[in-house]
Amino acid sequence: MIRIENLSVAFDGAEVVKNVSLDLVDGEVLGVVGESGSGKSVTALTLMGLVSESAQITSGRVLFDDVVLQEAGKPRDQALYRRYQGAQMSMIFQEPMTSLNPTQRVGRQVEEMLWLHAEHRPQGPWKHASDALLMSGRRTGQKEEFRTRVLEAFHAVGLRDEERVYASYPHQLSGGMRQRVMIAMALILHPRLLVADEPTTALDVTVQNQIIALLRKINSKQNNAMLFITHDLNLARRLCGRIAVMKDGQVVELGETEEIFRHPRQEYTKRLMEAVPSRMKKRTWAAGMTPDSSVPVVRVHDLSVFYQDGSNSLFAQKKKQCVVADASFEIYPGESLGLVGESGCGKTSLSKAILGMNRDIRGEIVSNTIRPQMVFQDPYSSLNPTKTIGWLLQEPLRAAGALDQSKAMTRADMEAAAYDMLHRVGMEDKYFHRKPSQLSGGQRQRVSIGQALITHPGLVVADEPVSALDVTIQAQIMELMRRLQQEMKLAYLFISHDINVVYQMCDRIMVMKEGRIIEVGETEKLFRAPREEYTRELLSSS
Amino acid sequence: MKRIRSFNESISGNKYLAAGLIMTGLALVIGILGLFWTPYSTTAMSAAEKFAPPSIRHLFGTDNFGRDIFSRVMKGMGTTIGISALVVFFSGTAGILLGAITGYFGGLLDEAVMRLTDAVNGFPSILMALVIISILGNGKHNVIISLGIVFIPSFVRIVRSEFIRLRDADYIRRARLMGVGRLRILFVHILPNIFSVFWVSVMIGFNNAILAESGMSYLGIGVQPPDASLGKMLSDAQGYLQSAPWYALAPGLAIVWIVLGFSLFSEGVRRCGE
Amino acid sequence: MKYIGKKLITLIMTLFLVSVAAFLAFQIIPGDVVTSILGTEATPEREEQLRQELGLDKPPVVRYFAWAADVLRGDLGVSYRYSKNMNEMMPVAELIGDKLPVTLWLAAVSMLLIIGVSIPLGVLWARSSNHFLDGLLGVITQASMAVPSFFLGILVTYLFGILLKLFAPGGYISYQENFSGFLGYLFFPAMSIAVPKIAMTARFLRNSMLTELRADYVRTAYSKGATKRRVMYRHVLRNAMMPVVTFLGMIIAEIVAGSIVIEQVFSLPGIGRLLISSISTRDFPVVEILILYITFVVIFVYFLVDILYRVIDPRISEA
Repeated sequence: MIRIENLSVAFDGAEVVKNVSLDLVDGEVLGVVGESGSGKSVTALTLMGLVSESAQITSGRVLFDDVVLQEAGKPRDQALYRRYQGAQMSMIFQEPMTSLNPTQRVGRQVEEMLWLHAEHRPQGPWKHASDALLMSGRRTGQKEEFRTRVLEAFHAVGLRDEERVYASYPHQLSGGMRQRVMIAMALILHPRLLVADEPTTALDVTVQNQIIALLRKINSKQNNAMLFITHDLNLARRLCGRIAVMKDGQVVELGETEEIFRHPRQEYTKRLMEAVPSRMKKRTWAAGMTPDSSVPVVRVHDLSVFYQDGSNSLFAQKKKQCVVADASFEIYPGESLGLVGESGCGKTSLSKAILGMNRDIRGEIVSNTIRPQMVFQDPYSSLNPTKTIGWLLQEPLRAAGALDQSKAMTRADMEAAAYDMLHRVGMEDKYFHRKPSQLSGGQRQRVSIGQALITHPGLVVADEPVSALDVTIQAQIMELMRRLQQEMKLAYLFISHDINVVYQMCDRIMVMKEGRIIEVGETEKLFRAPREEYTRELLSSS
Repeated sequence: MKRIRSFNESISGNKYLAAGLIMTGLALVIGILGLFWTPYSTTAMSAAEKFAPPSIRHLFGTDNFGRDIFSRVMKGMGTTIGISALVVFFSGTAGILLGAITGYFGGLLDEAVMRLTDAVNGFPSILMALVIISILGNGKHNVIISLGIVFIPSFVRIVRSEFIRLRDADYIRRARLMGVGRLRILFVHILPNIFSVFWVSVMIGFNNAILAESGMSYLGIGVQPPDASLGKMLSDAQGYLQSAPWYALAPGLAIVWIVLGFSLFSEGVRRCGE
Repeated sequence: MKYIGKKLITLIMTLFLVSVAAFLAFQIIPGDVVTSILGTEATPEREEQLRQELGLDKPPVVRYFAWAADVLRGDLGVSYRYSKNMNEMMPVAELIGDKLPVTLWLAAVSMLLIIGVSIPLGVLWARSSNHFLDGLLGVITQASMAVPSFFLGILVTYLFGILLKLFAPGGYISYQENFSGFLGYLFFPAMSIAVPKIAMTARFLRNSMLTELRADYVRTAYSKGATKRRVMYRHVLRNAMMPVVTFLGMIIAEIVAGSIVIEQVFSLPGIGRLLISSISTRDFPVVEILILYITFVVIFVYFLVDILYRVIDPRISEA
């Protein structure tokens, strides 16, 4: 049905998609996987006719049922494309929040799809005037019909209380609901092709499961073809019949999903598979890691954490909200304790309390280490952009020296320590004088880790430290963290939404839900026999 | 796509920068020179040369007292630029201190300062300056003081909002975790990160100061004679618009020159910085 | 509703602060009002009598509350400078009364000009794919913003008044006599105030639209098969207008400031000129009232804009 032949797309002379050929038949789900910058999104946008005008198609063409939608060397025919966009092929995006117009009720936004493709929609110079008439409700009959169809579409994607959803603005809906609205919008005209660009990446694990199930259900019911773009190999494996692996703008491998997973032919595919954290693989590091002391680094007893609503305005009524309730646990030296749960479950509040960043607490935190440090998710915001790497690595030492005279070091000693740490996190001397903006995401995360470890804290809280990284980089950073843990006898409190990462990384796992710790256990045991239903649901996700 | 845009922008950014630098540079040279030396005395009158139109002898012609307008514009530019620079220096420094402290720490002081800046904000700045001037009296120094006070809130606002934005940045949180002292966080960790934003507001502030100073002089409550000032010249010239239009054009265009040059310069800096 | 209440309280608090500041500021001024009214030749008895008449013998706090109570009752006090005739002092209310409409109309016409021109201009600019037009508008707006309004006023006078003879400079037509003639005369000063603000607003709207055009929902709209025109007007414009509304609200203070100066340029008998002359003659009761009045107008407009913003932006009205 849809054919991409030998497609190359260039921006400013640089090709980001090179000779890509893909085809889809009705009802098929084709996965396109690759790391960031592999050209998978540009391919999809080009197919949809949405790629920006500065992009140039340097070779190949896109066909829909043997109709040439676009071709190298010819300008895109927007009018032709518009007849297909929405009606024959539609798209859902990664960020449902920003992908919906924030100031329009979502019902109207879905409805727009209907009347953009209404059959008797007049053409010619009066088009816009009659559009306005249509929308202003003069043609009440049709308006009512459209409205009913939108409500039905909402129902079909599992949105309940359709009337309320219809009248809501995007910010009034949850992430999952927004993505359902997007899906309803994309599918209301029963297009034959659905392009899904990382549709679940921004969502919580359980919601992610629901959306995937929904897409699968729709696919089998409507028999539409689906192009599923993702960085997540596990996800692609669950959903797609065939997979195309992309790297640097090229399709390096294309074939049946299971075939590729069992017998990857290309070196890159193999590397990618190995890098993906998965339960099906042996936990390479976990063996033999037993807590070497019974004195915990941190002991938390009956801890409740509160959060104060509102700004520091005089008028704001201070509302106290309990975000963590009665948490009790210990972290031992040398161990990695995983903390999992969905967004808003209190993971971050709990970790902040342990770090002493939130003082509005009740209960007890006994710490046997000074100044536990933290590694953040976003490598781009966790290093001060105006400083050099060397300066950043020395700053914790300067601060420690200023707080405690006995720890003060000479300039030369600090510099030596910084160089030493730079080597330990696997970076070369030349980076010492560079600024963070000259580093890649993975390198920044290495510096971040180095900065956290240079004062030899007993405990490091790592809040989604690898979530923003590509899988191959992810694997490197995890290995680095594990190695440093052994070298420096560190304890990690490792927060992640990615169950597979936690599985690979942690000795014990703690599950949180709605502010409470509902289950703690050794990794293998917890995965084999979860006690709570919620844990089971969470673990089954990928 | 990104690359194309940044390329285009930096070209036009460079054009802006070049035009701005030339205009600003010329204005600075002429203005500063004008404070020390002018081709003719700025006060020497000559009944014979009343309302001489522009010529080689008198580049911009002469005024109703036969004084050389070019010389007076030179001196006026110097005065205006000097006053505006001092105004921005004082209010900018105060803005950094107040904005940093209120933005980072929040609390009661923040609330008080914000109420105050809100109140001042609802108040046309030139009006505020007029009120202060009417209390302090006319004259160069009082213009600097009054505009200096009037311009503080705008700097406080910008610095404060930047500090609020950055106080919860990941790298500042980490600095706190390391135990870095508060003052060090404020001025070593955060301050360098707001310079690009602050620089833009300094440029805008400088232009506003020029406009405000010349406006006040135009209204007759700013710089007083014998100090030459562009605004005062304009108001004097207005009566002779029909017979000697150059008299009004010269100081007016001088103001436009300074402001335009500076805003082109700042636009260029902004575009190239991105 | 609760929000409106809160905002109203803030508004009243601000007014109170400004009134205290305005009142006290003029108490610390050196120089005796009585001497400046009566001259140095007056007898001590006469001075004492006037002092009592003006209530100057009481402490400042008492005087403030007496003054504030009078103002709230509508009694704005009397001018130190102007008098009705030999025996009667000039009430400030009367002095301001017929000058107010001039300034208000000037501000209103300016605002209309700004809104009416800048929004179409900004949209046109954002839509222009033509590099030449884009660059030209960039240069023109940049230059317009650099012209101080009083110089612009002089240029307008010279160009439209003296060269083209479209109006008689200095020939102000009173609104009581001939309202359309009055508006016709006001057009030129209003234009002098409006041009730099039009440039600013158009630039602001254009940048706001270009930012919005890069937003994800624009891509969604295209993916539905919407035309460029439709995306622009139905999706982008509304979102891009939100910050512009705030911007227009903030301009009101500058319009008022601009009208103070422009009244001087065009010899308009508005409160701006009165303010300037009252400041130079140290007629403080008039100055105090004018300051209060202008502040009130400006923060009231801010208040309205704030409410309007909440009405048009669904994201805020909930919070």
